[in-house]
Amino acid sequence: MIGRLAGIRHLREWSVALVLAALLAALAFLAPAFFRADYLRGLLVAKASVLIVALGMTLVIVARQIDISVGSQFSVCGVIAGLLSTAGLPMGLVALGTVAAGAAMGATNGLLVAGLGLPSIVVTLATMTILREALRWLREGQFVLGLPDDFQWFGLGQLAGQWTVILAAAAFFLAAAWGLRHLGAGRAVYAVGSDAEAARLAGLRPRFVVFLVFLAMGAVTGLASLLSAIQFGVVDPNSGAGLELQVIAAAVVGGTAISGGRGTPMGTLLGVALLGTIGPALVFLDAAPEWEKAIQGLFILAAVAVDALAWRKR
Amino acid sequence: MSRPRLTSAQFGLVLVLLIEIAVFSLTGRNFATRDNAFEVARLSVEIGLLALAMTPVILTGGIDLSVGSLMGLSAVLFGKLWRDAGWPIGPAIAATLLAGAAAGAGNGLLVTRLRMPPLIVTLGSYSLFRGLAEGITGGVDNFTGFPAGFLFLGQGYLGGILPPQLPILLAAALGFWLLVHRTTVGRALVAIGFSPEGARHAGIAVERHVRLVYLMSGCVASLAAVIYVAHLGQAKADAGTGYELLAVTAVVLGGTSIFGGRGGILGTLLGLVTIAVLQNGLRLSDLPAELAGILTGALLLAALGADRLRATARRPPGEAPTAPAPLPESTEVPVKNSQVAFLAAVILLAAGLVAASNWLVVRSIVREADRRDDPAGARAAGSGDAATAASGGGAAAGPRRKRVTVAMMPKSKGNPYFVACRKGAEEAAAELGVDLVWDGPTDPDPAKQNEVIDTWITRGVDVIAVAVENRAGISTVLRKAQARGIKVVTWDADAEPDARSFFVNQATPRGIGEALMDNAARILGGEGEFAIITASLTAGNMIDWQKEIEKRRAEKYPGIRLAALRPCDDLQKKAFDEATAILGAHPEVRVIMGICSPAPPGAAEAVKQSGRGDVKVLGLSLPNMNKRFVHEGITDCIILWKTADLGYLTVLAADALARGTLPPGADGIEAGRLGRIAIEGDNILLGTPFVFTKDNIDDFDF
Repeated sequence: MIGRLAGIRHLREWSVALVLAALLAALAFLAPAFFRADYLRGLLVAKASVLIVALGMTLVIVARQIDISVGSQFSVCGVIAGLLSTAGLPMGLVALGTVAAGAAMGATNGLLVAGLGLPSIVVTLATMTILREALRWLREGQFVLGLPDDFQWFGLGQLAGQWTVILAAAAFFLAAAWGLRHLGAGRAVYAVGSDAEAARLAGLRPRFVVFLVFLAMGAVTGLASLLSAIQFGVVDPNSGAGLELQVIAAAVVGGTAISGGRGTPMGTLLGVALLGTIGPALVFLDAAPEWEKAIQGLFILAAVAVDALAWRKR
Repeated sequence: MSRPRLTSAQFGLVLVLLIEIAVFSLTGRNFATRDNAFEVARLSVEIGLLALAMTPVILTGGIDLSVGSLMGLSAVLFGKLWRDAGWPIGPAIAATLLAGAAAGAGNGLLVTRLRMPPLIVTLGSYSLFRGLAEGITGGVDNFTGFPAGFLFLGQGYLGGILPPQLPILLAAALGFWLLVHRTTVGRALVAIGFSPEGARHAGIAVERHVRLVYLMSGCVASLAAVIYVAHLGQAKADAGTGYELLAVTAVVLGGTSIFGGRGGILGTLLGLVTIAVLQNGLRLSDLPAELAGILTGALLLAALGADRLRATARRPPGEAPTAPAPLPESTEVPVKNSQVAFLAAVILLAAGLVAASNWLVVRSIVREADRRDDPAGARAAGSGDAATAASGGGAAAGPRRKRVTVAMMPKSKGNPYFVACRKGAEEAAAELGVDLVWDGPTDPDPAKQNEVIDTWITRGVDVIAVAVENRAGISTVLRKAQARGIKVVTWDADAEPDARSFFVNQATPRGIGEALMDNAARILGGEGEFAIITASLTAGNMIDWQKEIEKRRAEKYPGIRLAALRPCDDLQKKAFDEATAILGAHPEVRVIMGICSPAPPGAAEAVKQSGRGDVKVLGLSLPNMNKRFVHEGITDCIILWKTADLGYLTVLAADALARGTLPPGADGIEAGRLGRIAIEGDNILLGTPFVFTKDNIDDFDF
């Protein structure tokens, strides 16, 4: 009943929620400073873009595909946002341009995967390399400097800007959670991911769905990159480094099955929250930073193993 | 698979390879030589081993993303056993290989027993293995001083020409080829990849075979790690970072289907050589190294697309697909017009890319020809002239004053700090009429620096100037350069003293550490807490600076306490996150010190957003990135030398060294616009670090 209310439907979501609760309880006991309102708000802002990309990735994985080029896309979109803004465009057009650039990159992946039926992991491995190296070639790692005043926080000021980012991510999450469950388009993604042949016989067009999923992934990455870039006064050209594995891990820890057809936005939210809390928790608990990666790896393996064991028992 | 025959995909690769060799023989200097062939081979051994072991994994429909991290863990383990446990080299290697096999078996167990998808299992162990390596060494510990006999394995020459690790690669290739193509085990692997359920019904012990391939993959990753350590002369937690994707790329480019059931060892070797020759050839042609990545990606797409079109075109309707494809639709329909049109578009795009790179090649040839003419720049670059110049004959020098070629390497090309240094280097090159080659690793990978220097030795330059990432690792190859008559200077960070003539010393770790700590103490008023944000826990220069900061603190400021030390992976965003966490967790911290260029702006943004007016930021960074915060009073000061001067002085010293006007034991050098620069021993001293504050920061633009 409680689960129904919270939108939790799968065992994995429960186990992840439980671990997260235990971690938060430990923090409340050992480092209450973690729960100061302004710190938590800052943490939410920092993780908003990760959540948005992770939700896009959930969609991709549910459709039985994968996209490891999102990190490169994220970096490219951030630089594009910065360059458009320094060129003097108003922020509305900058936002539009950034999302469009992301959508274009996503559409390229989509065309290659759905149009030619190529394996998505190899296609996005190739586009990841191409985008990353091209960006390095053109920018040589230089930050985008000299941004106008209305770039940071869209010119809204810090507090309003922070809430804009948080609310944008929250709205996106709610839309994704509702849409995937209740809209025909959302169900189509699950159908295609579970069994593309069955979906086709049921009258869906699996390749078109897969194309749209990649297009959405790109657009969403553009949006997230914009929301991340406007938190700073300069744009780092490596902003997306390592993001792909971070969001895949978050989606998988949250119960999205890599074999497609299973996974929920709620689970991904929990996955992002859990993996995103481990890093700060180590700081607050004064733990040695060099163990962070090992702990992250253990959490990923443990979450999937618990789930696998539970499935075997059934 | 009755006999080793080239499939058409492999035939295509051979064609690409021949084109590469033909083009680079024209554009690259000393490309088509025996020595270069062996150098290319030496540098591909580690990735080659990983790719060979990855082939059976992918054949069964799996993937192993953990091999790069396992290399790091194995390197650390090997170092620990040899140095701390006092084991001899032989047993230490054996134990490392066993441990690697055990780690691989762990992956295999999770995949088979728990039926977890290989991608997820190895994604988890990718984090876990690297994390263990960093945890065991605390990130900072590294192992050097291995005996010469062991280093010979990675750095020596059998009979004067043959790199000793090459026979190991060939033996591994032969072994894997026999296993995959000549044994029942190999047939079983292909069957499993084609259809696990079918294989089970055919009486194959699926789980045992799958466990075997992951075990082999782990064991071979350890072997690659041992060779990597012998090659670099140093074992550290960051060994093999990013190698997993390079290995997967080689395998897939070689025609092995990512879904399993199709492919082979020969293809993997071809894929490997294609990528290695591409990288080497671009370097020897003075073309941007980023092109290698872009072209590899394009090749991968082209290979897949061609394979797909061939597969769909050849199969009669209704016959089972050769591999389980993700989208059933596309496997049933023979060829659609839309598919052909799309492929044509992709091919056009690829052709465009190739044309663009050809344009670059031609441009480089023309430049080459210009360069061979007199420095005043009277152009007479006919195409015949260009060809003679490009074929690399030294005869073109003639009676004119010989131009000096200086090859200069940053620690990594994508770092704004080094981009700023490059400006000064180019200024000096233009002033002196020096040909400047600027290249280096795009990823912070110590092995890549050695690779670039090896290509420079092959190419033939007059002076090599390098900002050293890995002191122990690079010195061997620098000594080799000296033995071939190339002058060597180091800048920014030093190598072993006997591996170079001079070190252009912008500021010692001690000078930097003291400047940072003194300024932090000034802000704190002699007591309180501060925190450090560093680039990574494994970067050598960061570790040196941290040590000097701590030493100064212990000596002069006992009232000050270091509350936290966190890595930010050289990312502004992560520096921001870490600083925010530090501010929350350690409310007594009054100063945050960022010691890599993105850290101070990231930390300053965090301080600004937290509204904590009582916290100040300082650190090593570039003035332009920090001006805003310095003026807002959040960042107290930025400490750095004048980067352009460093690049300028380095090229100047390199030129003087090549012309023989900078003898050993000189006590100074006339440095153009910098005036006379003092030399202490073999250190050319740029001066003390410069402190950029509110009052002077606007005078600088870099």
